[in-house]
Amino acid sequence: MLFPTTEFAVFFLVVFTGSWLLRPHATAWRWGMLAASLFFYTNPLSPGHQDWKFALVLTGSAVGNWALAQAVWSSLGEGRARTVRSTWLVRFGVAANLGVLGYFKYTNFFVSFWENRLEDLGISVSHTTLNVVLPIAISFFTFQALSYVLDVGRGELAPVKLLDFAVYLTFFPHLVAGPIVRVGEFEPQINQRADPRFVESAEAFQLIFRGLFKKVVVSSYLATAVVDPVFANPDLYGRGALAVAMYAYAIQIYADFSGYTDMAIGLALLLGIRFPQNFDAPYRALSLQDFWRRWHMTLSRWLRDYLYIPLGGSRGTRGATFRNLFLTMLLGGLWHGANWTFVIWGALHGGFLIAERVVKERWARREPLGLPPLLVKVLQWWLTFNMVSLAWVFFRAPDFDVAWTFLTRLVVGGDVNQVLTHSMLGLVAVIALAVASQFVPPRVPARVTAVFATTPPAFQMACLAMGMVIVDALGPEGIAPFIYFQF
Amino acid sequence: MPAGMVLAVVGGALIIAMFMNADATARKAAAPRGGEANYSWRQSIATGIASFSDFWRFTGPRERLDQALGKNTGPSDAERSEVEQLAAENAEEAQAVAEADLTPVLRAPTAEAPLKLWVGGDSVSADLGVSLEAIGAKSKLFTVRRDSRVSTGLSRPDFFDWPTHLARDVVPSEDPDVLVFMVGPNDSQNIPLDGGRRGYALGTPEWQQEYRLRVAGTMDALRSRDNDRLLLWVGTPQPGPGAGLKQQDTINWIVSEEAAKRPWVRYVDSWGLLNAPDGSFAARLPNADGQEYQMRQKDNIHLAIAGADRLAWSVWAVLGAQIDLSQSQVQPDPAQSAPADATERPSVPAPG
Repeated sequence: MLFPTTEFAVFFLVVFTGSWLLRPHATAWRWGMLAASLFFYTNPLSPGHQDWKFALVLTGSAVGNWALAQAVWSSLGEGRARTVRSTWLVRFGVAANLGVLGYFKYTNFFVSFWENRLEDLGISVSHTTLNVVLPIAISFFTFQALSYVLDVGRGELAPVKLLDFAVYLTFFPHLVAGPIVRVGEFEPQINQRADPRFVESAEAFQLIFRGLFKKVVVSSYLATAVVDPVFANPDLYGRGALAVAMYAYAIQIYADFSGYTDMAIGLALLLGIRFPQNFDAPYRALSLQDFWRRWHMTLSRWLRDYLYIPLGGSRGTRGATFRNLFLTMLLGGLWHGANWTFVIWGALHGGFLIAERVVKERWARREPLGLPPLLVKVLQWWLTFNMVSLAWVFFRAPDFDVAWTFLTRLVVGGDVNQVLTHSMLGLVAVIALAVASQFVPPRVPARVTAVFATTPPAFQMACLAMGMVIVDALGPEGIAPFIYFQF
Repeated sequence: MPAGMVLAVVGGALIIAMFMNADATARKAAAPRGGEANYSWRQSIATGIASFSDFWRFTGPRERLDQALGKNTGPSDAERSEVEQLAAENAEEAQAVAEADLTPVLRAPTAEAPLKLWVGGDSVSADLGVSLEAIGAKSKLFTVRRDSRVSTGLSRPDFFDWPTHLARDVVPSEDPDVLVFMVGPNDSQNIPLDGGRRGYALGTPEWQQEYRLRVAGTMDALRSRDNDRLLLWVGTPQPGPGAGLKQQDTINWIVSEEAAKRPWVRYVDSWGLLNAPDGSFAARLPNADGQEYQMRQKDNIHLAIAGADRLAWSVWAVLGAQIDLSQSQVQPDPAQSAPADATERPSVPAPG
C-alpha cells in the first residue's frame, strides 16, 4: 500500500481510531497493530497485491530472530559477557539473515553473472534463471532484525516479548522503507502508554504534508520532466540536458526518499510513536563525511555500528581504516540492490571518503591559503554536492553502459537529437529551490508548526483539506512507487 | 491535540478533499493498472462521489486550479468545437467532392522556393525528425520543422492532445505542405473516457474502434481544402524484446486502413523497412552498402541514428513518388539507406 493514496487514507483513519481506542489494552493494541501492519504489507484488497507468502517471510523473520535472540541471551555469561556459544549463535543469526536476504535479493544476479563468465570462457551452461521474486522491504526488516540479535548478543539489550518484537518488526509506518528503527528505541514507547490527550498532531501534519509535497509534486515532476527520459536514452541528449538530469535526480531521490520518511515519521507520531530522524538537509553538507551524517542517517549508523566498527573502525592503522571505510561503503552499495551500478556507487563513495580524509590531512599540515571562510565553505559545498550528484548517476542508471554513456556525453558532449519538452529554466528553478530549501534553519518550520498548533481545529481542517487539493492538483495522475521500495 | 479531535480534523479534511478532488480521484480509479482495465468497486465508488460532487459543484475550485495549472482540461469547449467544426467541414466537403480526385497536388519545390515539411509525434518521431532535417537541408528543397513531444500519442489527450495541437497550432500558423506524423508506442494502454470514469481496455474491439476514430479524425482535420497538403503517417516500428509494448501492429493496421481511404494520407510502413528480411525484429541490419549498423537503441523502441537515417531515406523515397523532386541533386547514401530488398509490407495484417 502506498502512503499517498485514498485507500491508505481510509486504512489509516481506521487504524488511528482503533489504535487510540485499544491503547489502554496493551495486548489487544499489539495484536491489532500486528494485524494492521500485515494488512498494509499484503494489501489483499488491491488487484496487484503482494503474495501472502511474503508475509510468511516477514513473520518467519520475526519468530526466528526472536527465538535466536532468546537463545543468545541465555548463553551470555556473567555480567552479560559474551561466550563462545553466544558468539557462534550470533554468527549463525547473521549468516541466516544474510542468507535469506541473499537468496531473495542476489540469486538471479549471481547466477546470471557466473553464467556469463562461463560463457565468456566458451563453456556453455544451461540458463537456470530462478526468477526469485524480491519481497518488498526485505532489506529493511532484515537489517532491523539483525540489529536486535546483535544488540542482544552484545549484552546491550535484554530480549523483548515475541509480540513486542513482531509489532516492532512489522510496524507499518517504517516497514517498507525505514527509517531503520532499533528495538531499544521502539519497545519502550509501546510499553509506556501514550497519552491520547496530547497527540503531537501539528508536527505530524507538517511532516506528512512536507513528505507529500516532496514525493507527489517535486519527485514526480522531476522524474517525468527530465530524469526518466534522459536516463532512458542519454545518447540522445546534449550536455545541458544531461547536467540538469544529473542534478534533478539528486533532488528526485532526496525528495522521494526523505518524503517517504517524513510521512512515516508523521504517521507514527499520530499513533504516539516517535521515530529517529533519517535526513538532516544532506545537500547542505560541506564534506562527504558530513553528507553521510545527514543522508539516510539510520542506515549510516547501522553500517557504522554493525559493520564499520566490528571491522576495526578507525582503531587500526591508517590503511586498515581506509579498508574498513571502503568495505563499509561497498557493502552499503550492494545492500541497495543486485546490480553492479550499486556496487560502483558504493565504491565511489568509499573512494571519495578516503580521498577526502587524505586531502584533509594534507591540507591541515599546510599554511592556510588566506581565502575568506565563506568562500571556502561555498567551494566545499559545491564540490561535495557535485561529487554526490555524479555518484547518483550510477545509482539511477539501469546498467553500467547507460551510466558510462551518460557520463562520457556529459564530459565530451555529442550530437543532440532530443530536446526536453519541459522548460530548462523551470527545471533549473525547481532544482535551485530544492537545494536552497536545505539551508532553511530548522527553527523556521518549528516556528510554523508551533503557530499552527495554536490555531482552531476548524482552521486546521480547512488547511489540511486545501493542502490535499493543492498537492493532488500539482502532482501527476497516479503515483509512482517510492524509489526505496525496491530495496 | 486530543486524539478524538485529531480524528475529527483529519477525517473532516479528508472528506472535504475527497469531494473537491472527486473528478481527479475518478480518473485515477479508472486509470489502467498493470495493463488491465480496473472497473472495480473503486471505480464505482469514485464515480458515485464524482457525480455527487459535480452536482453540488464541490469540484469547482479544483477545476479552476487545474485550469490555472493547464492540467486535465484538454482543449476548451471553444477549441474543441473549432477542431470538430474543421473535421466536420472537411467531412462535408469530402462528401461533396466524393467524385473528385482528392490526391494532393504539391508544386515542385526548388532551392529558392522550398516546401515546408513538419515532422512530429512522439519521441520516436524525434529520431526520424533529426534525420529528415539533415536530408532536407542537403536537398535544399524542404525547410524542416521538428515538433516531437515525449510520451505522447492518441490515447491520452488529457496528457497531450495531438489533433487539437495540429489543428490549432500547427496548421494555421505554419501551414506545412507535408506533415510526417508518427505515434504509437505510448498508445500501448487503455483509453480512458469521460474524465477516466470509463474506458476501453487495450486491444479490445471497442478500443480499436475508438482509436480508429481518433486516427480518422486526425487525418480529416489535416486535409487541406486546397488539396495541397500531404500527410505521411509513419507506422510505429516493431518493438523488440523487453520493450513491453503491445498492439503496435494493430495500431499500424488501423492507420493503414484509414490512410487507404484518404488520398491525402500515405501510410509508411516502418516494419518492412526496419525489420529483418524474415519480418522479425532486428536491432542491427545491413544497409545498402552491405555493412551492418545498429538500427535501434537499447530500449528496443527508439531508433538509433542509423535506423532513423534509414527510415528517413525511405520517407524521402515516398516523397519522391508523390512530389516532383527533380530539382534535388541528393541521392540516398548507401551507408544510410535500406538495401533494395527492404521494402514496405504490401499490407498490414489484421490483428488476430
